[in-house]
Amino acid sequence: MLISTEELSGSVTKVVLDGRLDIAGAQAIDLRMNVIAGSHRAVLVDMQKVSFIGSMGLRAIVAPARAIKSRGGKIVLFAPNGMVESVLKASAIDTMIPIHHELQSAMAALQ
Amino acid sequence: MNRNGANTIEELLTLQSKLSEIALIPAWIEQLASRHGIPKHTQFAMDVCLEEVLSNIIRHGYAGAPDHTILVRCTIPRKDYLTLIVDDEAPPFNPLLSQDFPSPRSLDRTSAGGRGILLLKQFADTVNYELKPKGNRLTISFTAPEKSNAV
Repeated sequence: MLISTEELSGSVTKVVLDGRLDIAGAQAIDLRMNVIAGSHRAVLVDMQKVSFIGSMGLRAIVAPARAIKSRGGKIVLFAPNGMVESVLKASAIDTMIPIHHELQSAMAALQ
Repeated sequence: MNRNGANTIEELLTLQSKLSEIALIPAWIEQLASRHGIPKHTQFAMDVCLEEVLSNIIRHGYAGAPDHTILVRCTIPRKDYLTLIVDDEAPPFNPLLSQDFPSPRSLDRTSAGGRGILLLKQFADTVNYELKPKGNRLTISFTAPEKSNAV
């Protein structure tokens, strides 16, 4: 699992995840996600290249999302594929962290 | 690969009780898929279920001890039905008796982790537990798309 960041307009930080969010993938991004959560208030998690997510991967997203929200910030999940989205919905993560498939709506949700 | 008397296809994977061994699962599923024509969404469901079951066995059942064995068998008795049978020799534990993960009300009131059993139940069509003389057996089944409740 690879993680990279990019600053977008409106002080939005895009976090790009690439690979499997399994146990190993979750460990690979944990520290960086928590650092981002502690220092940014508008985060778009680009999940287009996430091919798999398990419960440890969910944890690696929920924990930083809680931190961002506790600091008054916002986070969205952007464009997970159908099967990854099915995991997010099965675990009701989508009811707590919005999923957007259009960049414009994702950016609007972070303002 | 074996075919038993009823012409059921059976494939076996033996894993050591190390979390790193779970990395073997995606490739194994791919091999099964290419040999037996398993649909993509079923492969994904198998992947999700095995990730959860195996990590629980390794981390909790065997308490992280790396010198144990876990057997994963895939049986395909007919084209539209597939079963994963996971055998361990860990202390008795039935994951199906775990308390259901509470419905989250909000991000600040939900736990970060603990959704593994929830995913197992959501992505398998059926999950059955059996206590063996020495260890545990989980049988996880998946049916064809038109009959399946799994995603």
